Amino acid sequence: MNCFEHRTSNTQRWASNDRTSMFDVGRWMLNVRIGPVLLLILLLVVTDAQAADPIQLTTDGALKRDPRFVGNGAKLVFCYDEGPNLVRMLQMKMDDRSITPVFEDAGNRHNLEPAWSLDGQWIAYTQCTGNLTARLVIHNRAENTDVFITHPGRGGTRSPTFSPDSKTVVYAFAETGPQQLWSVDTAGKNKKQLTEFSGITNWPTFTPDGKTIVFANSRENNYELYAVAADGSNEQRLTENTIMDIRPRVSPDGKRIAFVSTRDGNYEVYVMNLDGSHVQRITTSEERDDYPAWHSNGRQLVTVSERNGEFDLYLFDVEPTHHASEKLSASLDVVSKP
Amino acid sequence: MIDFGSFKARDCGGSTRRSFLRTAATVPLAMRAGLPTPEVIAAAKSRAKAKSVILLWLWGGPSHIDLVDPKPDASMDYRGPFGTIDTRTTGMKFTELLPRMAARSDKFSVIRSMVNSNNGHPGAGTVGVTGFEESPGPVQPNFGAIVAKHRGQDGSLPPFFYVGRGIPRDLPRRIEGYGGGTLGKAYDPFLVSASDRGEVSIPTLKMMPNMSPGRISDRRQLLTQLDEERYRLDAAKVEEWGHKYQSAYGLLTSAEARAAFDLTQESKETRSSYGRSTFGQGCLLARRLAESGVPYVQVNWSEYVETFTPGGDWGWDTHIYNFELLQDRHGPIFDRAYSALLDDMTERGLMEDTLLIAMGEFGRTPRISNRAAREHWNQCYFSIWAGAGVQSGRVIGQSDPKGERPVSRPITPLMAGTTIAELTGVGAQQRAELKVLDGGSVIDELF
Repeated sequence: MNCFEHRTSNTQRWASNDRTSMFDVGRWMLNVRIGPVLLLILLLVVTDAQAADPIQLTTDGALKRDPRFVGNGAKLVFCYDEGPNLVRMLQMKMDDRSITPVFEDAGNRHNLEPAWSLDGQWIAYTQCTGNLTARLVIHNRAENTDVFITHPGRGGTRSPTFSPDSKTVVYAFAETGPQQLWSVDTAGKNKKQLTEFSGITNWPTFTPDGKTIVFANSRENNYELYAVAADGSNEQRLTENTIMDIRPRVSPDGKRIAFVSTRDGNYEVYVMNLDGSHVQRITTSEERDDYPAWHSNGRQLVTVSERNGEFDLYLFDVEPTHHASEKLSASLDVVSKP
Repeated sequence: MIDFGSFKARDCGGSTRRSFLRTAATVPLAMRAGLPTPEVIAAAKSRAKAKSVILLWLWGGPSHIDLVDPKPDASMDYRGPFGTIDTRTTGMKFTELLPRMAARSDKFSVIRSMVNSNNGHPGAGTVGVTGFEESPGPVQPNFGAIVAKHRGQDGSLPPFFYVGRGIPRDLPRRIEGYGGGTLGKAYDPFLVSASDRGEVSIPTLKMMPNMSPGRISDRRQLLTQLDEERYRLDAAKVEEWGHKYQSAYGLLTSAEARAAFDLTQESKETRSSYGRSTFGQGCLLARRLAESGVPYVQVNWSEYVETFTPGGDWGWDTHIYNFELLQDRHGPIFDRAYSALLDDMTERGLMEDTLLIAMGEFGRTPRISNRAAREHWNQCYFSIWAGAGVQSGRVIGQSDPKGERPVSRPITPLMAGTTIAELTGVGAQQRAELKVLDGGSVIDELF
């Protein structure tokens, strides 16, 4: 299977190509004293246009989800609808864009939400095993063996992620009530519930130092993003609005969080500092942009974006934010206090 | 691309196709007997406000609270994780999963006080599309079969279509009320399906053994095969057999029918507006069928209710992953497809005489389960109505603060079916003559 890379055209291109002339217009505005409001609007447009057009990584258009860069960005793993009744896990080599299944013998089971350990040894994912039942699979790549994490009764694990030391998987599960975060080691031992929150908790993601877990919780009438210490203590709220903020992904340098929100009317991808400050909107389409994941370079995000009804993988550049590092320190100080 | 049975229509062109057309025209058919005459059909049409009905059948039980009847003031174990957004209808909010529909709420009305007498999928499904329980029998006809019986077949297209992958079912069995019921198999729906890329197929032809482009193009072989098929059937099944294949071959021989199925005749913009999903492309196919004069089209969201199950095709039965699936898949797909269909039909002037309904067989438990999902709930759910004289921009019925039960007049599937019948010209006298929808009343609040 081959896919194509190409920069997509969008409405921002005119501004990006004509940035100098736009600034000239701004100086003209100041000279004729049209007013600071118009200048502010102009600057916002120019700032927004500084990002390059996204790179379209796939062109087949099938419904996709859960992209993850692995191997220092050498591969992109993602899930897609192979047919009307099967979600398959694939991997794309970024150098030639060739795509192959992650598991050749996956059968007819849905496999989704893949996570790769940083040491490259483990893959954790959610696997549908029967009617209304799913389990967490921890796959040892070197030994080609699996450990299955199950809970009694029907139900399914969600959103596994590895701790940075590659020793622990944290995931979401509802066993007897509100959905909580759980952890288990890669041998399938020491399964334990980490949180005792009300509402629904999902999408855990670690900071690179392993001290903090960022996640979403619905206790405030809708999904908001929070951070806690890795042992579940010392919670800090990161977002506050009336509609969903979901799927947080901490950047490789630990300074920022990519996430999805419907705050502007539909699913869009945003980036903010680790403490919730300096929210930057990355996608601006009237269609859906979802499932952001950081490239290991920390300067790009892959998304599943719907364009003209087709779902494909896109790579967006993310501008650095100079406020990030100082906010990071302050944030971690708060979170890591006993 | 149109997939007629097990082969592609475009592969069947030129002399091959002409050969087949001649063959099909000679297929022995007797299905016109007993069906309404053209004069009767014309009279029925003239009485109807709705020339066509499109039912979007949300199979599996979509959660009312997480879509069109949110309860943001309920306690956390009821209200769910989704925020609410304003709609264009005063006093009506949706969850954030349906922003496009919220922006078009002035074009439809929502009933929030539906109730079903059954709380299991096949049984509730039968109630949902016939108005009556499966047992004690006999199984009553699907609303579409009633309309089909009344209208008859006008032209080459069958009067009652299912658009979807198969007859709605759960893992153990299909629903009994899928078709003609007491009106007979002749009024079963004709099944067509559209892939997420808009490739249309007719599964009926796949039921013909040894069918292939080569065989179907050979007149002698085809006739021999058809005769063999008929010979194997007892007399009682000959009529059913003839109807099924007449419909299939009639579609192949008719330019009108072929055109109705050909989604490539739509602009790329139109096709993409419905979204890359089987349901979205099925909605587009339904619009083309209604535009071609088909009286009743039921678009099935899925064949199976099961949503996260090997082999299941993502029905609305979200016993697990309710919130994840609704935000990842079901909500965006439904929001886009419904909105596109509404826009498309409005722009084409079809809403004046087309009734568009979206509903499932029941809702889901207002109280969130201990698996962070929702179970079956037949005591309160929703339906969405538009077109054919239905007043739009209204909320009809009200559920209690937890979404558990209606606090206004309960609306039943029998009432929905009776309303469909009235709007399609099947009045009380005709219903009595057909012995259908006994005891049903019209949902007056819609008008």
